[in-house]
Amino acid sequence: MNSRKKECVAMLLAGGQGTRLYSLTKDIAKPAVSFGGKYRIIDFPLSNCINSGIDTIGVLTQYQPFALNQYIGNGQPWDLDRLSGGVFVLPPYMKSKNSDWYKGTANAIYQNIAFIDKFSPEYVLVLSGDHIYKMDYADMLSEHKRRGADCTIAVIDVSIEEASRFGIMNTKEDGEIYEFEEKPKKPKSTNASMGIYVFNWDKLRKYLIEDEADSKSSNDFGKNIIPDMLADGQKLYAYKFSGYWKDVGTINSLWEANMDLLDEGSGLNLADNGWKIYARNTAEPPHYTGRDAVISNSLITEGCEIDGDVVNSVISTGAEVCRGAKVSHSIVMPGAKVCEGASVAYAIIGAGAVIGSGAKVGKEQSGKDGNYDISVVAPNYTVKDGGVVDAGAMVE
Amino acid sequence: MNNIMGIIFASDNESKLNELTLHRTTASLPFCGRYRFIDFALSNFVNSQITNLGIITRNNYSSLMDHIRMGRDWDLNRKNGGIAVFPPYVSNSARSMNRGKIEALYSILDFIKRGSEDYVVITNSNIAANIDFDHVFDAHIAKGADITMLTYMAQPISSRKAAVVKDNDGRITQIRVVQTPSSVLTEMSLNVYMLRKDLLVDLVVDSYERGYTDLEKHILQPGCDTLKIFAYPTEGYVGVIDDVKSYYAESMRVLDTDLRNDLFTRNGTIFTKVKDSVPTRYRPGAEVNNSLIADGCDIGGKVINSVLFRGVTVEKGAVIENSIVMEGGKICEGAHISYIIADKDVTVTSNKTIGGYETYPMVIVKNKTV
Repeated sequence: MNSRKKECVAMLLAGGQGTRLYSLTKDIAKPAVSFGGKYRIIDFPLSNCINSGIDTIGVLTQYQPFALNQYIGNGQPWDLDRLSGGVFVLPPYMKSKNSDWYKGTANAIYQNIAFIDKFSPEYVLVLSGDHIYKMDYADMLSEHKRRGADCTIAVIDVSIEEASRFGIMNTKEDGEIYEFEEKPKKPKSTNASMGIYVFNWDKLRKYLIEDEADSKSSNDFGKNIIPDMLADGQKLYAYKFSGYWKDVGTINSLWEANMDLLDEGSGLNLADNGWKIYARNTAEPPHYTGRDAVISNSLITEGCEIDGDVVNSVISTGAEVCRGAKVSHSIVMPGAKVCEGASVAYAIIGAGAVIGSGAKVGKEQSGKDGNYDISVVAPNYTVKDGGVVDAGAMVE
Repeated sequence: MNNIMGIIFASDNESKLNELTLHRTTASLPFCGRYRFIDFALSNFVNSQITNLGIITRNNYSSLMDHIRMGRDWDLNRKNGGIAVFPPYVSNSARSMNRGKIEALYSILDFIKRGSEDYVVITNSNIAANIDFDHVFDAHIAKGADITMLTYMAQPISSRKAAVVKDNDGRITQIRVVQTPSSVLTEMSLNVYMLRKDLLVDLVVDSYERGYTDLEKHILQPGCDTLKIFAYPTEGYVGVIDDVKSYYAESMRVLDTDLRNDLFTRNGTIFTKVKDSVPTRYRPGAEVNNSLIADGCDIGGKVINSVLFRGVTVEKGAVIENSIVMEGGKICEGAHISYIIADKDVTVTSNKTIGGYETYPMVIVKNKTV
């Protein structure tokens, strides 16, 4: 490995099991879940990195890493196949004295101190692999430097009702964080942590080592490292981000983020040549829209064959919607097939799944307070001809 | 098959493709929504493990270089082999632009001799087909052929097509250049040949020394008696582009799902340059039928029996019928086009109606605003 010095190394936490995505993450890690027709969730932080000029990225994996490893490969789709730096997949590994799974987010970085040290960086950017957003990390880094901070945490303004679901950063007027509250019952402010941190590497390194020595610690950034640094009077600042950002860790949030792509007012616009989101390409021909197709307010990806009705939906690479089939307010993931006369409404159809002829998945609904009962068909599952999957049900 | 090398002629028939090859080689002519013609030759070679490739260009090759770059999108950025592009005047002995395939091959004799392969495939780049050269090789050996010539069945509607006459064993006894277009289904040369490399070198050197220039006219046509030339009928969809009319006709033929599946999946994947476009957006009011649509389009109007390349915008109330709109095209509100081939980055402004005819589709040249 050529390890020329790098100013900033990014560490992407991609080891989460993603249990709240249920069958969608049964065989793949959450960051490898399909999004927006041709992307995977991890394309967002990887593309953000390269667009921000960060070309050295460690991807920390441990749960079902195979699909993710294969997807990242040598990093070429993100222009990350570099002689110096590039993208490195870092699973837990055997060490001479002891070896361990990644016990927590901080422990995952701790176990890779040697990797980071090879690049002698001044700063380390810690990212998570389950958020959809476009962000210039270079701007965050320059704010960090300008303020002479030890740690900068990206925050987004959420509503006061939502605030109790997040880690909340209470700050002074100049943005310095004086208090961190994890999921507070009575939030004092609405600055929610986005799970994006810039650290001075020498500081973080010291805290990781101390944290590891503490057997009572849960080795987590939010629970341990950040409170410890605050307690010691280190300089922690909030970096306000105002664009689109969504945690897609649940069925409903994943569905909503996909629907946001169809809504031009949502702030999530991928058709911006100045900040492209890159993805590994599957070399499929253009999509074909048949003689009986009716498509409205939808995204259709290359390799699809559409001959049915598609409305308010995202149809992913190589999926098929046959004649007489109806798909509305749904996500059809790569390679899935909706057969003749089937109907799919308010649903997520997993990759490679088949909805048999005349089958019915989910139902049209108006939603209570913006909450919908989203049906989920597991990847590669077949719903039999004429089968029924109720609204909000999951089949696998 | 690692014992075969490939040579692609990037330029052919350009004079008859008129405006479409004003700024590009035949090899880089866009086809089927996101491809260029050379993608078929490159992908067929790669899928047959033929990875030592030479591409001979004549002119206008910058669009081709831009498309191929280092060959990574076809997995051809190799330490051993990969792609070598030969512009004109490649050797010291080339004092003028090569006047035909014999001179072109003569100018790259060193490249041809250098590789360790025993066989070579020579191909034109006006062909869309999914060909397995392993099968061609098996047939070549089984027949004991000196040269295997790939053939296809079509009506010789444009002149100068080479029709073959063969005996019961498949050996070609005559090659006739059709002078009058005909509607009779005829077996014709695809201008793709497989032969031993040392035979190719001998033939090229001998012909060059005699002052010959044309591979088909000076070597193959008169060689039927002395060389064992066997026909290999190519299976599945074969699209050959000779002029604007055949370009249009083949573009419309791939709207047929069975033919298209054959072209893209028969033996292997057809690869092309990756451009990271977003999925295509259909807006409320969009009406699209029997059309091929690449990624990155934004459709608010009506599209019927057409091919849209990447990043085409169809505004509300615009109508595209029986047309081909290449990358970056914009058809504005209320505009209506039919039987049009719009080259890259063409804009048709609001409420304009323009059309050609099925037998004479109209070409709008690159970057033009109507």
